[in-house]
Amino acid sequence: MEGQLNRIKTYINGFDEAISGGIPEKHITLISGTAGTMKSSLCFNIIYNEALAGRNSLYISLEQSFESLQQHMDGMGLNSENMGLLKIDDLTKIDQVIRDAKASGKGNILLADVGCIRKEIKDIKVGDNKSWMNVIKNIVKKVKAEIECKVFVLDSMSALYVLSRFENPRIELFYIFEFLRDMGLTTYLISEMPLDGSQYSEFGIEDFLSDGIIHLRLSPFRRKMVREISVPKMRATNCNNDVFSLEFKNGQFNALYGGQNPLL
Amino acid sequence: MKFTFGLKNVLKGKKRGKIEEEWKYDSQSTLLAPPVIADLSNNGHKSIIFGTKDGKICSIDVNANVQWMFNTQEQVGDVELMFLDADTASSIESSPNIADINNDGKKEIVVGSEMGNIYALSYEGELLWKFKTEGSIRAPVLINDINGDGKLEILFGSGDKNLYVLNNEGKLLWQYEAGSSIESCPEIVKGNIVFGCDNGELHCINNLGKLIWKFTTNAKITAQPSVGKLFGDERTFIVVGSTDNYLYMLNLDGELIWKFKTEGAIYSKACLADINNDNKLEIIFGSCDNKIYALNSNGEKIWSYETDFWVVAPPIVDDIDGDGKLEVIAGSYDHNIYILDSEGSYKLDYVPGVSGVLQQAGNYTDVMTQEPGRIEGKKLWQYKTDGIIVGCGYIGEDHKLIVNTKPGKINNLAHKE
Repeated sequence: MEGQLNRIKTYINGFDEAISGGIPEKHITLISGTAGTMKSSLCFNIIYNEALAGRNSLYISLEQSFESLQQHMDGMGLNSENMGLLKIDDLTKIDQVIRDAKASGKGNILLADVGCIRKEIKDIKVGDNKSWMNVIKNIVKKVKAEIECKVFVLDSMSALYVLSRFENPRIELFYIFEFLRDMGLTTYLISEMPLDGSQYSEFGIEDFLSDGIIHLRLSPFRRKMVREISVPKMRATNCNNDVFSLEFKNGQFNALYGGQNPLL
Repeated sequence: MKFTFGLKNVLKGKKRGKIEEEWKYDSQSTLLAPPVIADLSNNGHKSIIFGTKDGKICSIDVNANVQWMFNTQEQVGDVELMFLDADTASSIESSPNIADINNDGKKEIVVGSEMGNIYALSYEGELLWKFKTEGSIRAPVLINDINGDGKLEILFGSGDKNLYVLNNEGKLLWQYEAGSSIESCPEIVKGNIVFGCDNGELHCINNLGKLIWKFTTNAKITAQPSVGKLFGDERTFIVVGSTDNYLYMLNLDGELIWKFKTEGAIYSKACLADINNDNKLEIIFGSCDNKIYALNSNGEKIWSYETDFWVVAPPIVDDIDGDGKLEVIAGSYDHNIYILDSEGSYKLDYVPGVSGVLQQAGNYTDVMTQEPGRIEGKKLWQYKTDGIIVGCGYIGEDHKLIVNTKPGKINNLAHKE
């Protein structure tokens, strides 16, 4: 069965090999870590490479603005010449952005800047039966219905909790995961971990509901902080559970020294 | 200790005839609430009125012919639409309520919508008026003359945390800020208004909207409170289930008399009826522990009957087979309608020598001791429908059952000899 699954690469040298070639398509994966562990960068790198390969992805940012992400991308040396980076900052212009993506003839990242959308509609009264969760769902549905889109990144779950003010997180998260499964997208949920490292997500239930967890962390080693990556959970995948050092050099993520101390 | 087995009842049993479907109507939309049966134009002809998930309010006659259909056609802008769950934005999630609110000799239909509107329709399905709130309306409205002015008022809770009272023309009389969304239909108790909230509180307010007392449970209350003289005397009590799994009985001061624990959430109104002719009211209700319960007025279980999935819709107590005894009718999420003997069935745990005979189903109503066994729920009939049962209506004179299922089918069931 494992061999029959299509997989989406993480585009991390040395890491895809450790997870049978990539993350199974349509799986929901938590990208968990504390601040500064390059969670967003890693996800952005995946969809950037998907776009270079001619495929469309959707990135919904609840925290960073489009401009900030674009600067981030430039800082990583990711060149946007051979792919499209399209901004959704106005809910009335989604159709236009989708048309632009269709007409571009190349792979695109559709980046929904929810912070900007919030500013845009701040004078519109939003009642109890209208939630930001629905905005996210409706953007996903619309993009999925209109164009070929395989990968979805939600950045981040913590911001979603603040924005949506879940009354019953266990139930509401269950339905969010059900929704994402119904959409059939390979989904990356960026998750801020509590500092004590007791669970990979805010409520813990996300750990059970997700199909996979990629754990990023910062570890002190010889008076240096070293980024590390590991896979505590990956359904339908024969995983190498080693902890790797994670480096980003020359526009490329590398996973090194699996199961061994880094040679610093 | 008197100890009789009532063997003649064991052998005779009670069940006779069968339950058959007379017709089935496809509403072409998901259904989320029970239908209401009413004689809208007061001409002796009953109608079946229900709301659909795609925003329609429909009336069909007792032979499944469509009489009229009103489309709420909720209009929203593109931006506002993005904030809505497209699957439920147009939903009618509760049963309509029917009453002659404008004294024209015909009955009007009043129902709320997920978008927060209350619609009042004429008996022919024409819009009379509409009232907008800022939250979803997920429970039926209550229609009652709460201020004694001879005109009916419309009371309902909203997701915007307010209980609203409108006059019969749809104008706001007053509103009460409950501090939590309201998904429970209010009930009138001795001139006061009692309703549950999503924060687990049961509020009792007077007919001017002033809080009298609050009672707190540990989870959302969506059930309408039931009110009755449970002990057969002058005292009135309130019975309400909560999604914290307990059924509560309170006095009129909001003090707890007893509570009964089930193993699942209780979502709907308990039915109060004297099912065993003891001149007291018994309490019949369903729970998400898959069971239908019958309790006595002291909160002690008389019997329970276990289905294969949650029992969310409110049960009905009536004599569906016309034998002069009451039956309990309840729909389950397991797709089945269960018709139970209201008195249950006495089951012996073990009696050497005769237990093999007496363990068989039958009535043991004249057993005078509980020691050798217990009373259990007794199924008389079971009817499998196409989907989750969201609720039933009952046409009393004709002994006909109207069953709404989530996939949108309406089944007319009747007892046949």
